[in-house]
Amino acid sequence: MASLDFTVNGERVLLDVPANARLLDILRDNLGLTGTKEGCGVGECGACTVIVNGKAVCSCITLAAGLNGAEVTTIEGLSKNGELDIIQQAILDHHALQCGFCTPGIVMSAKALLDANPHPTTQQIKEAIAGNLCRCTGYQQVIDAVADAARRRAEQECK
Amino acid sequence: MQQLEYLCPKTLDECLRALQQAGGSALPYAGGTDVMIHLRERTERMRRIRLLVDLAALPELRGITLEGDRVHLGAMTTHSEAAASPLLLAHAPFLCAAAATVGSTQIRNAGTIGGNVCNGSPAADTASPLVALSAQARVCSASGERFVPVEALYSRNAGMALAPGELVLEFVFDSFSAWRTSFLKLGRRKALAISRMNVAAALRTEDGRITAARISPGCVFRTPDRVRAAEDRLVGQIPSKELFAEAGRLSSAEMIQRTGVRWSTEYKQPVLEALVERALLRAAGIDTEA
Repeated sequence: MASLDFTVNGERVLLDVPANARLLDILRDNLGLTGTKEGCGVGECGACTVIVNGKAVCSCITLAAGLNGAEVTTIEGLSKNGELDIIQQAILDHHALQCGFCTPGIVMSAKALLDANPHPTTQQIKEAIAGNLCRCTGYQQVIDAVADAARRRAEQECK
Repeated sequence: MQQLEYLCPKTLDECLRALQQAGGSALPYAGGTDVMIHLRERTERMRRIRLLVDLAALPELRGITLEGDRVHLGAMTTHSEAAASPLLLAHAPFLCAAAATVGSTQIRNAGTIGGNVCNGSPAADTASPLVALSAQARVCSASGERFVPVEALYSRNAGMALAPGELVLEFVFDSFSAWRTSFLKLGRRKALAISRMNVAAALRTEDGRITAARISPGCVFRTPDRVRAAEDRLVGQIPSKELFAEAGRLSSAEMIQRTGVRWSTEYKQPVLEALVERALLRAAGIDTEA
Protein backbone atom coordinates (compact mmCIF):
# COMPACT_ATOMS: atom_id res chain seq x y z
CA MET A 1 0.00 0.00 0.00
CA ALA A 2 0.96 3.62 -0.50
CA SER A 3 -0.50 6.72 1.10
CA LEU A 4 -2.01 9.25 -1.24
CA ASP A 5 -2.76 12.91 -0.53
CA PHE A 6 -4.08 14.77 -3.54
CA THR A 7 -6.83 17.07 -4.79
CA VAL A 8 -9.78 15.90 -6.87
CA ASN A 9 -12.10 18.55 -8.34
CA GLY A 10 -10.86 21.05 -5.79
CA GLU A 11 -11.31 18.81 -2.74
CA ARG A 12 -8.45 17.31 -0.80
CA VAL A 13 -8.49 13.52 -0.71
CA LEU A 14 -6.50 11.26 1.66
CA LEU A 15 -6.39 7.55 0.87
CA ASP A 16 -4.30 4.42 1.22
CA VAL A 17 -4.04 2.79 -2.20
CA PRO A 18 -2.46 -0.43 -3.48
CA ALA A 19 0.99 0.26 -4.99
CA ASN A 20 -0.21 -0.71 -8.48
CA ALA A 21 -3.65 0.98 -8.32
CA ARG A 22 -4.74 2.93 -11.37
CA LEU A 23 -6.11 6.44 -10.98
CA LEU A 24 -9.16 5.28 -12.95
CA ASP A 25 -10.10 2.69 -10.31
CA ILE A 26 -9.52 5.10 -7.43
CA LEU A 27 -11.82 7.66 -9.07
CA ARG A 28 -14.57 5.19 -9.90
CA ASP A 29 -14.44 2.70 -7.04
CA ASN A 30 -13.12 4.69 -4.08
CA LEU A 31 -14.49 8.13 -4.87
CA GLY A 32 -17.63 7.15 -6.78
CA LEU A 33 -16.74 9.40 -9.70
CA THR A 34 -18.08 7.13 -12.42
CA GLY A 35 -18.22 9.82 -15.11
CA THR A 36 -14.70 8.76 -16.07
CA LYS A 37 -15.07 5.66 -18.28
CA GLU A 38 -12.88 2.67 -18.91
CA GLY A 39 -12.68 1.76 -22.56
CA CYS A 40 -9.58 -0.05 -23.76
CA GLY A 41 -7.60 -0.02 -20.51
CA VAL A 42 -4.32 0.43 -22.38
CA GLY A 43 -4.23 4.16 -23.09
CA GLU A 44 -5.45 4.05 -26.67
CA CYS A 45 -9.12 5.10 -26.62
CA GLY A 46 -9.09 8.12 -24.29
CA ALA A 47 -12.45 7.37 -22.62
CA CYS A 48 -10.71 7.59 -19.23
CA THR A 49 -9.10 11.00 -19.91
CA VAL A 50 -8.80 13.28 -16.88
CA ILE A 51 -6.70 16.38 -16.26
CA VAL A 52 -3.71 16.03 -13.92
CA ASN A 53 -1.86 19.26 -13.11
CA GLY A 54 -3.28 20.89 -16.22
CA LYS A 55 -2.43 18.07 -18.63
CA ALA A 56 -4.80 15.54 -20.20
CA VAL A 57 -3.76 11.98 -19.33
CA CYS A 58 -5.30 8.53 -19.55
CA SER A 59 -6.31 7.60 -15.99
CA CYS A 60 -6.19 3.89 -16.92
CA ILE A 61 -2.39 4.05 -17.20
CA THR A 62 -1.76 6.60 -14.46
CA LEU A 63 -0.34 5.22 -11.23
CA ALA A 64 -2.44 6.53 -8.33
CA ALA A 65 0.42 6.21 -5.85
CA GLY A 66 2.45 8.71 -7.87
CA LEU A 67 -0.09 11.51 -7.52
CA ASN A 68 0.84 12.95 -4.12
CA GLY A 69 0.28 16.70 -4.28
CA ALA A 70 -1.37 16.48 -7.71
CA GLU A 71 -4.49 18.33 -8.78
CA VAL A 72 -6.90 16.08 -10.65
CA THR A 73 -9.97 17.30 -12.53
CA THR A 74 -12.60 14.84 -13.74
CA ILE A 75 -15.76 15.42 -15.78
CA GLU A 76 -17.65 15.85 -12.48
CA GLY A 77 -15.52 18.89 -11.72
CA LEU A 78 -16.75 20.89 -14.70
CA SER A 79 -20.35 21.87 -14.08
CA LYS A 80 -20.84 24.64 -11.53
CA ASN A 81 -24.03 25.25 -9.51
CA GLY A 82 -26.01 22.88 -11.71
CA GLU A 83 -24.90 24.63 -14.89
CA LEU A 84 -22.99 22.79 -17.57
CA ASP A 85 -19.53 23.92 -18.55
CA ILE A 86 -19.32 25.77 -21.88
CA ILE A 87 -17.66 22.76 -23.53
CA GLN A 88 -20.36 20.39 -22.30
CA GLN A 89 -23.10 22.72 -23.57
CA ALA A 90 -21.37 23.06 -26.95
CA ILE A 91 -21.16 19.26 -27.28
CA LEU A 92 -24.92 19.08 -26.67
CA ASP A 93 -25.72 21.95 -29.04
CA HIS A 94 -23.70 20.41 -31.86
CA HIS A 95 -25.11 16.90 -31.34
CA ALA A 96 -21.54 15.72 -30.90
CA LEU A 97 -22.48 12.45 -29.21
CA GLN A 98 -24.65 9.41 -29.63
CA CYS A 99 -23.99 6.77 -26.99
CA GLY A 100 -21.93 9.21 -24.95
CA PHE A 101 -19.37 6.75 -23.61
CA CYS A 102 -16.41 8.61 -25.12
CA THR A 103 -17.84 12.05 -24.32
CA PRO A 104 -16.40 12.65 -20.82
CA GLY A 105 -12.93 11.88 -22.16
CA ILE A 106 -13.43 14.14 -25.18
CA VAL A 107 -14.65 16.99 -22.96
CA MET A 108 -11.59 16.65 -20.72
CA SER A 109 -9.21 16.64 -23.72
CA ALA A 110 -11.00 19.73 -25.05
CA LYS A 111 -10.81 21.46 -21.67
CA ALA A 112 -7.07 20.79 -21.35
CA LEU A 113 -6.61 22.21 -24.86
CA LEU A 114 -8.70 25.37 -24.32
CA ASP A 115 -7.22 26.06 -20.87
CA ALA A 116 -3.72 26.03 -22.41
CA ASN A 117 -4.62 27.45 -25.83
CA PRO A 118 -7.85 29.51 -25.84
CA HIS A 119 -7.80 30.06 -29.62
CA PRO A 120 -6.82 26.73 -31.22
CA THR A 121 -6.74 26.12 -34.97
CA THR A 122 -8.81 23.29 -36.42
CA GLN A 123 -5.62 21.27 -36.73
CA GLN A 124 -4.80 21.83 -33.05
CA ILE A 125 -8.32 20.72 -32.07
CA LYS A 126 -7.91 17.57 -34.18
CA GLU A 127 -4.56 16.82 -32.55
CA ALA A 128 -5.96 17.40 -29.07
CA ILE A 129 -8.75 14.84 -29.57
CA ALA A 130 -6.74 12.38 -31.69
CA GLY A 131 -6.37 10.21 -28.58
CA ASN A 132 -10.15 10.01 -28.05
CA LEU A 133 -11.90 7.37 -30.09
CA CYS A 134 -15.61 7.70 -30.90
CA ARG A 135 -17.29 4.79 -32.65
CA CYS A 136 -20.73 6.39 -33.16
CA THR A 137 -20.87 9.98 -34.28
CA GLY A 138 -17.55 10.62 -35.91
CA TYR A 139 -15.47 13.66 -35.20
CA GLN A 140 -16.74 16.58 -37.28
CA GLN A 141 -19.44 17.58 -34.78
CA VAL A 142 -16.91 17.27 -31.97
CA ILE A 143 -14.44 19.53 -33.78
CA ASP A 144 -17.24 22.06 -34.47
CA ALA A 145 -18.31 21.92 -30.83
CA VAL A 146 -14.81 22.54 -29.49
CA ALA A 147 -14.27 25.43 -31.92
CA ASP A 148 -17.62 26.87 -30.84
CA ALA A 149 -16.75 26.39 -27.17
CA ALA A 150 -13.55 28.38 -27.76
CA ARG A 151 -15.61 31.21 -29.26
CA ARG A 152 -18.14 31.14 -26.40
CA ARG A 153 -15.36 31.19 -23.83
CA ALA A 154 -13.81 34.22 -25.51
CA GLU A 155 -17.19 35.99 -25.57
CA GLN A 156 -17.77 35.24 -21.92
CA GLU A 157 -14.42 36.72 -21.03
CA CYS A 158 -15.25 39.93 -22.88
CA LYS A 159 -18.45 40.38 -20.85
CA MET B 1 -1.51 -11.73 -6.29
CA GLN B 2 1.99 -10.36 -6.16
CA GLN B 3 2.91 -8.01 -3.33
CA LEU B 4 4.11 -4.79 -4.85
CA GLU B 5 5.69 -1.90 -3.00
CA TYR B 6 5.91 1.70 -4.11
CA LEU B 7 8.77 4.06 -3.39
CA CYS B 8 9.17 7.67 -4.48
CA PRO B 9 12.76 8.60 -3.55
CA LYS B 10 13.47 12.29 -3.00
CA THR B 11 17.19 12.10 -3.82
CA LEU B 12 19.20 10.29 -6.47
CA ASP B 13 21.28 8.65 -3.75
CA GLU B 14 18.21 7.18 -2.11
CA CYS B 15 16.93 6.02 -5.49
CA LEU B 16 20.17 4.31 -6.57
CA ARG B 17 20.56 2.62 -3.20
CA ALA B 18 16.99 1.30 -3.37
CA LEU B 19 17.55 0.01 -6.90
CA GLN B 20 20.79 -1.68 -5.88
CA GLN B 21 19.28 -3.27 -2.79
CA ALA B 22 16.29 -4.66 -4.64
CA GLY B 23 18.36 -5.81 -7.64
CA GLY B 24 16.29 -7.43 -10.36
CA SER B 25 13.06 -7.15 -8.37
CA ALA B 26 12.92 -3.34 -8.69
CA LEU B 27 11.53 -1.48 -11.66
CA PRO B 28 12.16 2.23 -12.30
CA TYR B 29 8.85 3.96 -12.99
CA ALA B 30 8.79 6.93 -15.37
CA GLY B 31 5.63 7.89 -17.28
CA GLY B 32 3.92 4.54 -16.83
CA THR B 33 2.44 4.35 -20.32
CA ASP B 34 4.06 0.94 -20.90
CA VAL B 35 4.71 -0.24 -17.33
CA MET B 36 1.09 0.20 -16.19
CA ILE B 37 -0.09 -2.05 -19.02
CA HIS B 38 2.57 -4.69 -18.32
CA LEU B 39 1.73 -4.60 -14.61
CA ARG B 40 -1.92 -5.32 -15.25
CA GLU B 41 -1.29 -8.00 -17.80
CA ARG B 42 1.29 -9.49 -15.42
CA THR B 43 3.59 -10.11 -18.33
CA GLU B 44 6.65 -12.28 -17.93
CA ARG B 45 8.97 -9.36 -17.21
CA MET B 46 6.69 -8.12 -14.40
CA ARG B 47 6.50 -11.39 -12.47
CA ARG B 48 9.70 -10.81 -10.55
CA ILE B 49 8.96 -7.13 -9.85
CA ARG B 50 8.33 -6.37 -6.17
CA LEU B 51 9.21 -2.68 -6.03
CA LEU B 52 8.21 0.26 -8.20
CA VAL B 53 10.73 3.09 -7.88
CA ASP B 54 9.02 6.30 -9.02
CA LEU B 55 11.52 8.70 -10.65
CA ALA B 56 9.17 11.70 -10.57
CA ALA B 57 10.84 13.60 -7.72
CA LEU B 58 14.46 13.45 -8.93
CA PRO B 59 15.74 16.80 -10.28
CA GLU B 60 18.74 15.07 -11.92
CA LEU B 61 16.40 13.46 -14.46
CA ARG B 62 14.64 16.70 -15.42
CA GLY B 63 15.29 19.57 -17.73
CA ILE B 64 16.77 20.33 -21.12
CA THR B 65 19.93 22.43 -21.00
CA LEU B 66 22.82 23.50 -23.20
CA GLU B 67 26.27 23.27 -21.63
CA GLY B 68 28.85 24.63 -24.02
CA ASP B 69 27.96 22.92 -27.29
CA ARG B 70 26.41 19.86 -25.62
CA VAL B 71 22.70 19.33 -25.08
CA HIS B 72 21.63 17.59 -21.85
CA LEU B 73 18.20 16.02 -22.07
CA GLY B 74 16.79 14.67 -18.79
CA ALA B 75 15.44 11.13 -19.05
CA MET B 76 12.15 12.18 -17.39
CA THR B 77 11.43 14.78 -20.08
CA THR B 78 7.97 13.99 -21.43
CA HIS B 79 7.32 13.74 -25.15
CA SER B 80 5.13 16.86 -24.90
CA GLU B 81 7.95 18.80 -23.22
CA ALA B 82 10.49 17.61 -25.80
CA ALA B 83 8.22 18.41 -28.75
CA ALA B 84 7.66 21.97 -27.50
CA SER B 85 11.18 22.75 -26.25
CA PRO B 86 12.65 25.83 -28.01
CA LEU B 87 16.14 24.61 -27.03
CA LEU B 88 15.63 21.21 -28.66
CA LEU B 89 13.99 22.84 -31.65
CA ALA B 90 17.16 24.89 -32.18
CA HIS B 91 19.66 22.08 -31.55
CA ALA B 92 17.93 18.83 -32.58
CA PRO B 93 14.68 19.62 -34.42
CA PHE B 94 14.16 16.05 -35.67
CA LEU B 95 14.04 14.86 -32.05
CA CYS B 96 11.13 17.28 -31.45
CA ALA B 97 9.44 15.94 -34.58
CA ALA B 98 9.88 12.35 -33.40
CA ALA B 99 8.55 13.14 -29.90
CA ALA B 100 5.52 14.85 -31.48
CA THR B 101 4.56 11.66 -33.36
CA VAL B 102 4.47 9.41 -30.30
CA GLY B 103 0.99 8.21 -29.29
CA SER B 104 -1.65 10.84 -28.53
CA THR B 105 -1.64 14.05 -26.48
CA GLN B 106 -2.48 12.00 -23.38
CA ILE B 107 0.41 9.59 -24.01
CA ARG B 108 2.88 12.38 -24.83
CA ASN B 109 1.91 14.19 -21.60
CA ALA B 110 2.83 11.13 -19.52
CA GLY B 111 5.41 9.13 -21.47
CA THR B 112 9.07 10.14 -21.20
CA ILE B 113 12.06 10.01 -23.57
CA GLY B 114 13.96 7.89 -21.05
CA GLY B 115 11.04 5.47 -20.84
CA ASN B 116 10.66 5.39 -24.61
CA VAL B 117 14.28 4.27 -24.94
CA CYS B 118 14.55 2.06 -21.83
CA ASN B 119 11.40 0.12 -22.65
CA GLY B 120 13.69 -1.53 -25.19
CA SER B 121 11.42 -1.51 -28.22
CA PRO B 122 13.15 -1.14 -31.61
CA ALA B 123 10.02 0.83 -32.62
CA ALA B 124 10.78 3.62 -30.13
CA ASP B 125 10.33 6.80 -32.16
CA THR B 126 12.81 8.93 -30.23
CA ALA B 127 15.59 6.31 -30.46
CA SER B 128 16.13 6.99 -34.18
CA PRO B 129 17.04 10.68 -33.82
CA LEU B 130 18.98 9.98 -30.59
CA VAL B 131 21.10 7.43 -32.48
CA ALA B 132 21.50 9.84 -35.41
CA LEU B 133 22.72 12.45 -32.91
CA SER B 134 25.30 9.97 -31.52
CA ALA B 135 23.66 10.62 -28.16
CA GLN B 136 25.25 9.13 -25.07
CA ALA B 137 23.16 7.93 -22.16
CA ARG B 138 24.50 8.86 -18.74
CA VAL B 139 23.95 5.68 -16.74
CA CYS B 140 24.26 5.76 -12.95
CA SER B 141 24.20 3.13 -10.25
CA ALA B 142 25.10 3.10 -6.56
CA SER B 143 28.61 2.02 -7.56
CA GLY B 144 29.33 4.62 -10.25
CA GLU B 145 28.56 6.22 -13.54
CA ARG B 146 29.20 5.38 -17.20
CA PHE B 147 28.33 6.85 -20.59
CA VAL B 148 26.79 4.50 -23.14
CA PRO B 149 25.95 5.28 -26.78
CA VAL B 150 22.16 4.99 -27.14
CA GLU B 151 22.46 2.20 -29.73
CA ALA B 152 24.58 0.21 -27.25
CA LEU B 153 21.80 0.42 -24.64
CA TYR B 154 19.86 -2.10 -26.68
CA SER B 155 20.87 -5.67 -26.12
CA ARG B 156 21.09 -7.98 -29.15
CA ASN B 157 18.70 -10.49 -27.56
CA ALA B 158 15.90 -8.01 -26.83
CA GLY B 159 15.74 -5.93 -23.69
CA MET B 160 18.25 -3.43 -22.42
CA ALA B 161 21.99 -3.74 -21.88
CA LEU B 162 21.61 -2.30 -18.39
CA ALA B 163 22.49 -4.13 -15.19
CA PRO B 164 19.97 -4.29 -12.30
CA GLY B 165 20.46 -1.14 -10.27
CA GLU B 166 21.47 0.96 -13.27
CA LEU B 167 19.45 4.00 -14.25
CA VAL B 168 19.60 6.31 -17.28
CA LEU B 169 19.73 9.89 -15.93
CA GLU B 170 20.00 11.86 -19.15
CA PHE B 171 20.99 11.85 -22.79
CA VAL B 172 23.91 14.03 -23.88
CA PHE B 173 24.68 14.99 -27.46
CA ASP B 174 26.39 17.69 -29.55
CA SER B 175 24.23 20.50 -30.84
CA PHE B 176 23.06 19.83 -34.39
CA SER B 177 22.20 23.48 -34.98
CA ALA B 178 24.61 23.55 -37.97
CA TRP B 179 22.87 20.51 -39.50
CA ARG B 180 19.56 20.18 -41.30
CA THR B 181 17.49 17.33 -39.96
CA SER B 182 14.26 15.49 -40.65
CA PHE B 183 12.13 12.70 -39.19
CA LEU B 184 9.60 10.65 -41.12
CA LYS B 185 7.32 8.01 -39.69
CA LEU B 186 5.10 5.49 -41.33
CA GLY B 187 2.26 4.25 -39.12
CA ARG B 188 -1.00 2.50 -39.83
CA ARG B 189 -2.79 5.78 -39.28
CA LYS B 190 -1.78 9.32 -38.49
CA ALA B 191 -2.50 9.42 -34.77
CA LEU B 192 -1.62 6.96 -32.04
CA ALA B 193 0.18 4.51 -34.28
CA ILE B 194 3.27 2.58 -33.35
CA SER B 195 5.88 3.04 -36.06
CA ARG B 196 5.90 0.46 -38.79
CA MET B 197 9.06 2.20 -39.83
CA ASN B 198 10.69 5.57 -39.28
CA VAL B 199 13.80 7.39 -40.47
CA ALA B 200 15.80 10.16 -38.81
CA ALA B 201 18.15 11.95 -41.20
CA ALA B 202 20.66 14.78 -40.82
CA LEU B 203 22.88 16.55 -43.32
CA ARG B 204 25.68 19.06 -43.06
CA THR B 205 26.64 20.96 -46.16
CA GLU B 206 29.36 23.39 -47.13
CA ASP B 207 29.46 25.26 -50.45
CA GLY B 208 26.63 23.08 -51.74
CA ARG B 209 28.35 19.79 -50.94
CA ILE B 210 27.48 17.34 -48.19
CA THR B 211 30.22 17.22 -45.56
CA ALA B 212 28.52 14.85 -43.11
CA ALA B 213 25.38 12.71 -43.07
CA ARG B 214 23.40 10.64 -40.59
CA ILE B 215 20.77 8.09 -41.54
CA SER B 216 19.09 6.26 -38.67
CA PRO B 217 16.09 4.07 -39.49
CA GLY B 218 13.76 2.62 -36.84
CA CYS B 219 12.04 -0.81 -36.90
CA VAL B 220 14.53 -1.89 -39.57
CA PHE B 221 17.41 -3.53 -37.74
CA ARG B 222 17.12 -5.68 -34.64
CA THR B 223 18.12 -2.63 -32.61
CA PRO B 224 18.29 1.07 -33.57
CA ASP B 225 21.40 1.84 -35.60
CA ARG B 226 22.85 4.08 -38.33
CA VAL B 227 23.45 3.03 -41.93
CA ARG B 228 27.07 4.06 -42.33
CA ALA B 229 27.45 2.69 -45.88
CA ALA B 230 24.68 5.02 -47.06
CA GLU B 231 26.02 7.95 -45.00
CA ASP B 232 29.52 7.54 -46.47
CA ARG B 233 28.11 7.52 -50.02
CA LEU B 234 26.68 11.02 -49.46
CA VAL B 235 29.83 12.74 -48.21
CA GLY B 236 31.44 15.03 -50.79
CA GLN B 237 28.39 14.89 -53.07
CA ILE B 238 25.92 17.54 -54.19
CA PRO B 239 22.39 16.82 -52.84
CA SER B 240 20.07 15.41 -55.50
CA LYS B 241 17.06 13.12 -55.79
CA GLU B 242 19.20 10.49 -57.56
CA LEU B 243 21.87 10.56 -54.88
CA PHE B 244 19.29 10.16 -52.10
CA ALA B 245 17.56 7.35 -53.98
CA GLU B 246 20.89 5.57 -54.03
CA ALA B 247 21.24 6.10 -50.27
CA GLY B 248 17.81 4.48 -49.97
CA ARG B 249 18.98 1.46 -51.96
CA LEU B 250 22.16 1.18 -49.89
CA SER B 251 20.02 1.29 -46.73
CA SER B 252 17.74 -1.53 -47.88
CA ALA B 253 20.77 -3.57 -48.98
CA GLU B 254 22.16 -3.14 -45.47
CA MET B 255 18.84 -4.22 -43.96
CA ILE B 256 18.81 -7.40 -46.05
CA GLN B 257 22.45 -8.09 -45.31
CA ARG B 258 21.85 -7.79 -41.56
CA THR B 259 18.45 -9.38 -41.10
CA GLY B 260 18.25 -11.66 -44.15
CA VAL B 261 15.29 -11.93 -46.52
CA ARG B 262 12.13 -12.32 -44.46
CA TRP B 263 8.43 -12.54 -45.20
CA SER B 264 8.22 -8.79 -44.67
CA THR B 265 11.15 -7.88 -46.94
CA GLU B 266 9.00 -7.48 -50.03
CA TYR B 267 7.15 -4.72 -48.17
CA LYS B 268 9.97 -3.23 -46.15
CA GLN B 269 12.54 -2.89 -48.93
CA PRO B 270 10.67 -0.36 -51.12
CA VAL B 271 9.23 1.41 -48.08
CA LEU B 272 12.63 1.90 -46.47
CA GLU B 273 14.12 3.09 -49.76
CA ALA B 274 11.33 5.64 -50.19
CA LEU B 275 11.48 6.82 -46.56
CA VAL B 276 15.27 7.30 -46.61
CA GLU B 277 15.10 9.17 -49.91
CA ARG B 278 12.27 11.43 -48.71
CA ALA B 279 13.87 12.05 -45.32
CA LEU B 280 17.10 13.14 -47.01
CA LEU B 281 15.23 15.32 -49.53
CA ARG B 282 13.40 16.99 -46.69
CA ALA B 283 16.60 17.50 -44.71
CA ALA B 284 18.25 19.00 -47.81
CA GLY B 285 15.25 21.27 -48.33
CA ILE B 286 14.55 19.85 -51.80
CA ASP B 287 10.88 19.99 -52.72
CA THR B 288 9.64 16.40 -52.68
CA GLU B 289 6.57 17.23 -54.76
CA ALA B 290 8.59 18.61 -57.69
